[in-house]
Amino acid sequence: MKFGKRIKEQIQESLPEWRDKFLRYKELKNLISSPDPAEFIFIGLLNSEIEKFNAFFVEQEEDFIIHHKVLQYRIQRLVEKYGDNDDETFREEIGEIRKDIVNFHGEMVLLVSYSNINYTGLAKILKKYDRRSGGALRSPFVQKVLHQPFFKTDLVSRLVREWETTIDAVFPASNAEAERGYERSAAVSSAAAGEGIFRNTVAALVTMREMRRGSSTYSALSLPPVNLYDLDLVLQPIHIPSPILS
Amino acid sequence: VRTTMEARPVQRSGSRELSNLTRTSSIPSTPNPSSAAAAEVAFMRSENNNNNTQFMSKPLGGQNYHLLASSNGGAVGHICSSSSSGFSTNLHYSSMEKHYASSSSNAAAAAALRDDSSWCSDSLHGGFLDFPENHHQASQIEDGGGIGAAFDDIQKRNDWHEWADHLITDEDPLLSTNWNDLLLETSSQSDSKDQKTLQVQPQPQIVQQQQPSPSVSVELRPVSTTSSNSNNGNGKARMRWTPELHEAFVEAVNSLGGSERATPKGVLKKMKVEGLTIYHVKSHLQKYRTARYRPEPSETGSSEKKLTPLEHITSLDLKGGMGITEALRLQMEVQKQLHEQLEIQRNLQLRIEEQGKYLQMMFEKQNSGLSKGTASTSDSPSKSEQEDKKISDSKDHLTPEETGKCKEPESPQPKRHKTDN
Repeated sequence: MKFGKRIKEQIQESLPEWRDKFLRYKELKNLISSPDPAEFIFIGLLNSEIEKFNAFFVEQEEDFIIHHKVLQYRIQRLVEKYGDNDDETFREEIGEIRKDIVNFHGEMVLLVSYSNINYTGLAKILKKYDRRSGGALRSPFVQKVLHQPFFKTDLVSRLVREWETTIDAVFPASNAEAERGYERSAAVSSAAAGEGIFRNTVAALVTMREMRRGSSTYSALSLPPVNLYDLDLVLQPIHIPSPILS
Repeated sequence: VRTTMEARPVQRSGSRELSNLTRTSSIPSTPNPSSAAAAEVAFMRSENNNNNTQFMSKPLGGQNYHLLASSNGGAVGHICSSSSSGFSTNLHYSSMEKHYASSSSNAAAAAALRDDSSWCSDSLHGGFLDFPENHHQASQIEDGGGIGAAFDDIQKRNDWHEWADHLITDEDPLLSTNWNDLLLETSSQSDSKDQKTLQVQPQPQIVQQQQPSPSVSVELRPVSTTSSNSNNGNGKARMRWTPELHEAFVEAVNSLGGSERATPKGVLKKMKVEGLTIYHVKSHLQKYRTARYRPEPSETGSSEKKLTPLEHITSLDLKGGMGITEALRLQMEVQKQLHEQLEIQRNLQLRIEEQGKYLQMMFEKQNSGLSKGTASTSDSPSKSEQEDKKISDSKDHLTPEETGKCKEPESPQPKRHKTDN
């Protein structure tokens, strides 16, 4: 019950184009609760969901790969253009790129989150099915899922970490300098994108924490609680609106 | 544990750092043939390093869901059932590409049902539909889709028989006929007949020999960056791109005069990558062109929220009215946290499944040795309970400390977890 609510909220907070790409957890649960859920129907639905994940994931990944190159190219051109000069236009463009990097990083992380939440949902629904039917479908099925393209997030994670390294080189010396208005105009245009990503990210973190707080059916297959001490510290200056935290 | 974000000066050293960072990868302005050689097109991801694969279909009875066949004429099954674990072949049949777009994907669902290459494994070789008791029913489902619509049906009614009838409805004559034939055939038939939805017509661009071209060495090794291919029979297939492959693409495009002048055919020829089709290149080129001329961070999301300047300022208040830089830093920090947690969670999930799988094997081994002729092994509820119990026993090694760390060291003092009852 809790996961169903969580994934629903996660979907609501996600980028619009992503919303119909998530696992249809509620429908699958209804199927299981029905008087006579045929196994082949259940499996068929799961397979089709997985195809959906794969198609979406691989496509997003392709977009990321392209954008990854484009960003690298932009930085390189900027460096070539300004060399070692530290003038105003340089700072402005750096500001713009910085925002783009952060948003790009965010989107990639959200794709990894997408992969994980769908996997988690699949594992949970299979567990429910086994409990209902008395079968042992879960374990072999999950083994297959582990080899699906949408679950193999290594490449995206690698790019994520690369940009974490890169951005350290792009952040300015001090806040005072940065706030001198150079970046305000540059950043405003893509503030909207960052906003959506930011909300989505926070929602995903909250979801994860809630999901792992402890469940009614806690078993050996359950995950331990999340250690998010750092996150609480980090989130303190933010005033999170209630819809995200509910 | 991160304390404070340390700002690094973007001065001379900063820009030098940037230069160094970007120099690691090939840059469009400086075409570098050697980097193209490094392009690895892992079309085939196989644990046993099956390098000699071609993109030809080989109808082999009901298991003909794979585009690949080993060049030595080995059965498709050979590729599937790799020694360690069931790695799915990269090429698997899915439905038409257009169906991916719609949420109620009839053909996708139907194809997915039959598509056993995703589930290619040593244990369930015939795919998930190959359950003994369901096999007969499975073949009936293969006709046409209806699964997408079925989702709505689930909520409305509980009459599963009626719902199953929907699945059997012949909505897509093209698919249904061929699938039926495929499933029922037990001996290989001629390719040309009615298999066109499933098989890849050997395309002129596809190089049949195994020798990679001199300009691009095709490395088929099991690495993390993989390529997966799915074919709906019309020659359209889904590709999984890698940065290396993309670099080869960019170089090819540049050598042909840039993204506006280069044609898909030209790029394809230039790249000389085995298994790459013109459709792959075409769609990728389209994406590439869009990305170059509209370099926004969020290709998808930014267009959705068109706020007025006033709203821009208001939305930034979410971050407590802090400056842009600080807001960015915060956003980055939160994103980093999420990613870290996701990686930890994923590793935990993997380990849980690993242990479960291992124990399941041991359990079955034990059972098959103990009970000869008795029905105790088929007692399903107790089986899954046993599985849980055994996992919980071994899960002592998964301690809470692991959740808080990036790495996962084996803790010397395992703590007991609450076991399932």
